[in-house]
Amino acid sequence: MGIQHWRIRDRYYRLMGNRCEKCGAEFFPPVYRCKKCGSEKLVDADMPRTGKILTYTQLHEPLPGFEDQSPMFIALVELENGTRVVGQVVDSPDDSVRTGAKAKAVFRRVQVDGDSGQILYGYKFVIAS
Amino acid sequence: MKAYVSSVGFTAVADHWGKSLLDIAYEASTAALKGSPRVKPQQVFVGNMFSAAGAGQEQLGALVADAVGLAGVPAVKVESACASGAAAFNLAYSLVKGGVIDSALVVGVEKMRDVEPDDITRVLTLAESSEYTQFVGASFAALNGMLARHYMEQLDVTRDELSSLPVLDHANAVSAEHAQFRKAITPEAVARSGMVADPLRLFDCSPVGDGAAAAVIVNDKAAGTTKGGLVEVLGGRIATSEFSMYGRDDMLRFRATEDSFREAMQQAGLAQSKLDFLEIHDSFSVMGALSLEAMGLSKRGQGGMDAKQGKFDLNSELSVNTFGGLKARGNPIGATGVYQIAEAYLQLTGRAGANQVKGAEFGATQSVGGIDTTSAVHVFGRAA
Repeated sequence: MGIQHWRIRDRYYRLMGNRCEKCGAEFFPPVYRCKKCGSEKLVDADMPRTGKILTYTQLHEPLPGFEDQSPMFIALVELENGTRVVGQVVDSPDDSVRTGAKAKAVFRRVQVDGDSGQILYGYKFVIAS
Repeated sequence: MKAYVSSVGFTAVADHWGKSLLDIAYEASTAALKGSPRVKPQQVFVGNMFSAAGAGQEQLGALVADAVGLAGVPAVKVESACASGAAAFNLAYSLVKGGVIDSALVVGVEKMRDVEPDDITRVLTLAESSEYTQFVGASFAALNGMLARHYMEQLDVTRDELSSLPVLDHANAVSAEHAQFRKAITPEAVARSGMVADPLRLFDCSPVGDGAAAAVIVNDKAAGTTKGGLVEVLGGRIATSEFSMYGRDDMLRFRATEDSFREAMQQAGLAQSKLDFLEIHDSFSVMGALSLEAMGLSKRGQGGMDAKQGKFDLNSELSVNTFGGLKARGNPIGATGVYQIAEAYLQLTGRAGANQVKGAEFGATQSVGGIDTTSAVHVFGRAA
């Protein structure tokens, strides 16, 4: 994961997606071609860091590397510009994680690459009051 | 040119601890080949998703071809996640129907138990975005959990309605010899089973198991050499959708299944009401419900309710998952689509035993990779 992560670290650190220069549509994850108008003229753009939970789950069977956080909340967050991001919800009371709740992206450690590997940082979400 | 399935073979879906990936692929292939003794397949297609992760083996096309005595013929592995087997079948069907080749062997195989138990979740999630889904810790089950919550909240679907799909699968598997779980369950048992990805519980999820299924497919030129027992492939189509569920405007619309079903049925020239049975891809209960709705067999939000009311029971209006579906027959990923096709073959040749759909003339199979990212539908009819 190290090299893959490094390659797109700005996506993870800054929620950087892209924007269509022609029609203005914004995307996260970034796209190669505008999904709205088909244009290939896209520029990098940071996404808004707040949005609301569209749906979520509490996952009891974690992926390797996430065992110590199980059970963990994972949500699909619709950001203010309409883009949708899947991420972990942390540092929030269980009963605050619900559909429609306001969520804010925060910078966190996401994974550790193996026993003695790189620490991989990225976005997670907290419930905003 | 017409295309037919002339024979099938499969292992039981089970924990085949003592057998390798090639052992079970060989067993299923040999059984299918023995059913068409005068056919020498001109090409081999192997459907498989993760042989590298489990068995540490790739190049399955040549591996299987050599094992069954077909070294020399073109042979490839086809991968489309959980739809790998159906995708392999579709490529074989297209070439055979078009007359490029006259016969082919299709084998679906997966050895899920060769993957370390604590790694299987990761391996299954390889079908989703490495960078934006896997990286953040969202497993395939987590995506399905989010989808299920969205489905239940948006369309007022109850726990009980969702449970009726696994209940249906288990009821049909009781008399299915090759099924992994031959035990009936109740809606209460589903609601009591352990939480996997809230609101999805263990009994909403298809199990881990090993299996291989095979089919011999022929066109008119080769069909004359078979002993009979032909089932015609009336149509077959693969469709894809936006890769990630969260990139779709309406996540509750399974567009790949809508498209593949509509187009396969058009090829078959068949109205939906003519179908006697249907094998659907219910790797999770919510996937089954949304699949039924995408094919127009249930109204939006009604898939579970219709199952609950018995609409899809064996020998009802439309028999669904006649040997237990993904939940109870089992879901050995790359093999699953070929199991469905083998089951359709048994139904249309009158060999389905206690699971026989009486007077079955037409049936279809739907196999999905990811969350309706790839969907492959095939339509079958009793050969005239």
